[in-house]
Amino acid sequence: MEWSIFQQYGPMLLRGFQITVFCWLFGTIFGMILGLLIALAQRYGVKPVRWLLQAYIEIIRGTPFLVQLFVLYYGGPLIGLRLDALPAGLLGLTIYGSPYFAEIFRSAFRAVPHGQIEAARAIGMAEVSIIRRILLPLGLVSALPALVNFSIILTKETVILSIITVPELMYQVQRMSTETFRYLEANLVLALFFWALVELISRVGRRLEIRITKHLIERT
Amino acid sequence: MVQASSVEIRKVNKFYGPFQALKDIDLSVPPGKVTCLIGPSGSGKSTLLRCINFLEEYDSGEVRIDDQLIGYEVPGGRKMPARKLREMRRSIGMVFQQFNLWPHMTAQENVAEGLIRVRGLPRAEAADRAVEALRKVGLGDKMANHPARLSGGQQQRVAIARAIAMEPQLMLFDEPTSALDPELVGEVLNVMKTLAGEGMTMVVVTHEMGFAAHVADQVAFMEAGELVAVDAPARILHQPEDPRIQGFLRTYHERNAF
Repeated sequence: MEWSIFQQYGPMLLRGFQITVFCWLFGTIFGMILGLLIALAQRYGVKPVRWLLQAYIEIIRGTPFLVQLFVLYYGGPLIGLRLDALPAGLLGLTIYGSPYFAEIFRSAFRAVPHGQIEAARAIGMAEVSIIRRILLPLGLVSALPALVNFSIILTKETVILSIITVPELMYQVQRMSTETFRYLEANLVLALFFWALVELISRVGRRLEIRITKHLIERT
Repeated sequence: MVQASSVEIRKVNKFYGPFQALKDIDLSVPPGKVTCLIGPSGSGKSTLLRCINFLEEYDSGEVRIDDQLIGYEVPGGRKMPARKLREMRRSIGMVFQQFNLWPHMTAQENVAEGLIRVRGLPRAEAADRAVEALRKVGLGDKMANHPARLSGGQQQRVAIARAIAMEPQLMLFDEPTSALDPELVGEVLNVMKTLAGEGMTMVVVTHEMGFAAHVADQVAFMEAGELVAVDAPARILHQPEDPRIQGFLRTYHERNAF
């Protein structure tokens, strides 16, 4: 083991990690928003819309992320979509995550007892209010564990962005490896960074879960 | 005295696929009176009750609240716009077997929600009225509790408060005590009796024959999607002529005898 090379490559790796975290945050947040919109449109939309979205879900879930990235990055220019590596990567992550998030929200919405929706309808609440005040808060609670779980999976999908030259952690690690032949050290550091990130996310997730279910659990 | 609605049900039919849940139901609910719907499980009582606020969509016939058709623009016509339906539902309170309180809100928030979102009251006023409604059902001290911290009987009383805070002119009860432990039934029935005494029009699906006997102005007996008889409680419960009612009451008495 030869650790002194990190004096030289450390700042570069840190910068790469920052980009990794940024890509992950971006993909998670916007993937979740897109997924939520898809789930809502599937619940309330007319049939053609639902079919179209179902097709979208099947296609994205049925193909490897790498292929989607290639299509977006190399195929995009053919239809006039010319993106730099980073924006292409961010867009790719968002699209890739959205169907999984959509499915999580879909099943979470189904878990909201129908009676609670009916109670709102019975007093004359408008559907928009019902979504905002009943369906979303209760759906989010039951979705949270699965949301945290998938966003952890997404952290590790960010390494694929290195293939289209997004300068995230994997990219920097590979560069360092080929320049120094210190493959083991470089990849160990990568593993360490990811482990720390995943650990952090799961801890925050658990805290959040305890907090938002505080009032929902029966204590007699 | 509250302003009370009447309900007219005429030739109402309801199908689930090939299964006919309601067969040509006719029923008049006079204003300010309590009507109890009784009968065996699966007889269509709850379905009929849910047709009154159109939570259940009847297929043909008419349901009129104060002469106004609910659910459809004209009998057999197109469905009424959602906005119109919401407006009609504002004055129809409903209480469910499973309470259906919103678990992420306190008792007070549960009651205030409709006042804010539907009646458009300012938060402070809605909160005050919520407290008032909760006091009325004897839960003034529980307003900060979430449903998970309330007993079944208390939850159901909050649900009643949620409905009456909207100042309805008609209250629908769908087996309001069936999910409760026996010792908690009384507190809910007492609140319902008070409401009945104030002249609220009430339609109550129930298995509480005591309540039907003492509080109802009329009792309707249903079986297999048909409305077999409507009459004064004593006539239905004590001198039933129809063998189907006799059979039902016999089973009821046998189960409750010890």
